Amino acid sequence: MRKSLVVAFLLAFVFFAFAETVLNMVEVFTWPERTKVLKDIIKKFEAEHSGVKINLISPPYETAYQKVYTMISTKQPLDIVEVGDWSLSSLAAMGGLENLEPYIKNWDSVKNFLPGLLDAARTYKNTAYLIPNAVYVKTLYIRSDVLAKYGIKEAPKTMLEMYGMARYITDPRKGQYGFNFRGKGFPTDFIDLVVTSFFDDIDPNNMYLTKDGKIIWSDPRAKLGLELYVRLFKDTAPKDAINWGFSEQVNSFSSGIAPILFQDPDTLGILRSNLPDSAFKTAPLPVGPSGKAYPHFGFSGFGIVSYSKHKDLAWEFIKFFHRPDNLAYWCKNYGVLPPDKTLYYNDPFFSSEKYTGWKYMFNHPEKYQFTKQPIWNKNWGKWNELQEKTMQKVLLGKMSVDEVLKEWTKFWEEAGLK
Amino acid sequence: MRKPRRQARFFWFTVFPTLLLVLFLVVYPTIKGFIMSFYDYTIFTFWNPHFVGLRNYKAIFSDEDFYQALWNTIVWVAGSVTFQFLLGFGLALLMWKPFKGRGIYAGLVFYPWAISGFAIGLVWSWLLNGTYGVVNDILLRLNIVEYPIHFLSDPDWAMFSVILINVWYGIPFFAIMILAALQSIPRSVIEAAKIDGAGPARRLFSIVIPYIKPVILSTLLLRVIWVMNFPDIIYGTTRGGPAGATDILPVYMINTVFYENDYSKAAATGVIVLGILLAYTVIYMKVTSFKELEL
Repeated sequence: MRKSLVVAFLLAFVFFAFAETVLNMVEVFTWPERTKVLKDIIKKFEAEHSGVKINLISPPYETAYQKVYTMISTKQPLDIVEVGDWSLSSLAAMGGLENLEPYIKNWDSVKNFLPGLLDAARTYKNTAYLIPNAVYVKTLYIRSDVLAKYGIKEAPKTMLEMYGMARYITDPRKGQYGFNFRGKGFPTDFIDLVVTSFFDDIDPNNMYLTKDGKIIWSDPRAKLGLELYVRLFKDTAPKDAINWGFSEQVNSFSSGIAPILFQDPDTLGILRSNLPDSAFKTAPLPVGPSGKAYPHFGFSGFGIVSYSKHKDLAWEFIKFFHRPDNLAYWCKNYGVLPPDKTLYYNDPFFSSEKYTGWKYMFNHPEKYQFTKQPIWNKNWGKWNELQEKTMQKVLLGKMSVDEVLKEWTKFWEEAGLK
Repeated sequence: MRKPRRQARFFWFTVFPTLLLVLFLVVYPTIKGFIMSFYDYTIFTFWNPHFVGLRNYKAIFSDEDFYQALWNTIVWVAGSVTFQFLLGFGLALLMWKPFKGRGIYAGLVFYPWAISGFAIGLVWSWLLNGTYGVVNDILLRLNIVEYPIHFLSDPDWAMFSVILINVWYGIPFFAIMILAALQSIPRSVIEAAKIDGAGPARRLFSIVIPYIKPVILSTLLLRVIWVMNFPDIIYGTTRGGPAGATDILPVYMINTVFYENDYSKAAATGVIVLGILLAYTVIYMKVTSFKELEL
């Protein structure tokens, strides 16, 4: 009897001694190297917070959002959720995310965020539902070694110069092409960058509106921009590029087949492992005939699930993640731009030559006006599907530029673009 | 008196777990999906979906892309199953006669069947890449073509290419099933036919095919259903593109979920696919006579 009492006591002791709080966290941009970096930070957090364990769920990238939606809609145990900009409104609208404004109010580090970034993240009802952990801004990547073979030493400064350059080096017989075209898998950013560069009056709060409230797709300048985009495909890209997604783009850049590329900073990490440092560089995006280009902040970040039982602890983790040492480790190894502006000055890594393109754009707001895609609109997902499909029809000659612009204008009129 | 009761208990004991699984994994989602198709169930209305009647069906039937996907589905199923069957049958006949190393050879032949469809799609999308794919490289080096063929990006080639991949993937299924059926034919029947002077063609059409007809009919029925519900290869290669050239109904359904986050419209598409398959099955069974399908 005494023996069993002792055993029971010991068991109870062990149970309570080792009882720990478990935070459930889901990531969406799952990628083995990236997950490893995240796990390293989690380990560090656990080491500094005894009794806390973070259970990281890493669904495959392709199905990650569906997993998140299902988990939240069925109220499965979840505390921290990673959200990308394009899905932020959906998750916030369904009530799955906690309003983070009260937390931000008492958080010092918020003043270090890149100007405008947190505003960009206040996508839904002008409220912060996530804290950006990575910034994506497209810039121009060039294979300087490939272009040098053709006597080209400088990156193109305008869209038309880029077209001329790409056309000049294109020679299908040699398997050499110019512009690294994106045909499938959300080509939205690529189309938008070329087209908007023909405008000088884009609404800073809505990329698809001019400052006087007109839908850009109904403007004659959109036609000129889209025609250039079609020419880039027809004259400087392989026909196959209509089926190119992210992997094909990176692959054809790495192999030198298409040495002029618009891409996000996370591509930098991949290229660094594929190419010698001297083979490529970044430069600011070419401006259009308007003398301007309209990039936008893409971001992903961590939010707290609205029904979480450990909201304060979840916030502790988010704060911990944004500590400069952790954030720098994350951004360096994952290859994204840090949301914290101090890192650009304090960390030599981010002031290296490879970040030239972005730094120039951040420092020249007269040329590079950051704007926002209307990702808060309920029809944003539908738009991506429509734009990709109809754009492919135009590239294949099954639809004219006029017809597609008419259809896009109609789509946004019906979608209530505001 | 006790025996039937014990038998009944044994019956329920063995059948119940399966029944439970089928109810949970098949019947419940089917009913739920059917109900969902009459609701407005999107990412924005997750927690308060409301009844919208036939709105989702109207949206689908007024969408031009749906009809393109429907036609593509017919081409995809007919092309894939026909060639899978013919080549699988041929392969089974070749492997019917014992030869040295048949086991290894059979293992190699059945290998594609063991790989996931999505992985096959990814691998083949690199093989058939129009700019630096292996297939084009071989064709160019052998001077068979002057310029690379844009297998997956030219709408005139894309459907052919995805069917080609699916044929490569699906041959083993027919080969396995038909080979098993062939091995059940008594050798004495074949020998007797030979003695009676029947040639190979006569033996094939008068003995072999009638003998294994039930297997052929049931595998064809199953395969049509499976191939119609098999978006993996297309999703891994073209995602239904370019410009909808390879968009089949299940890909159309997936895109409705992934791009539009409209679960009720996707459910309605699923109900339509189910309806088409039910109609096909009933007609197929009537035409071939159900008795033939009893193995």
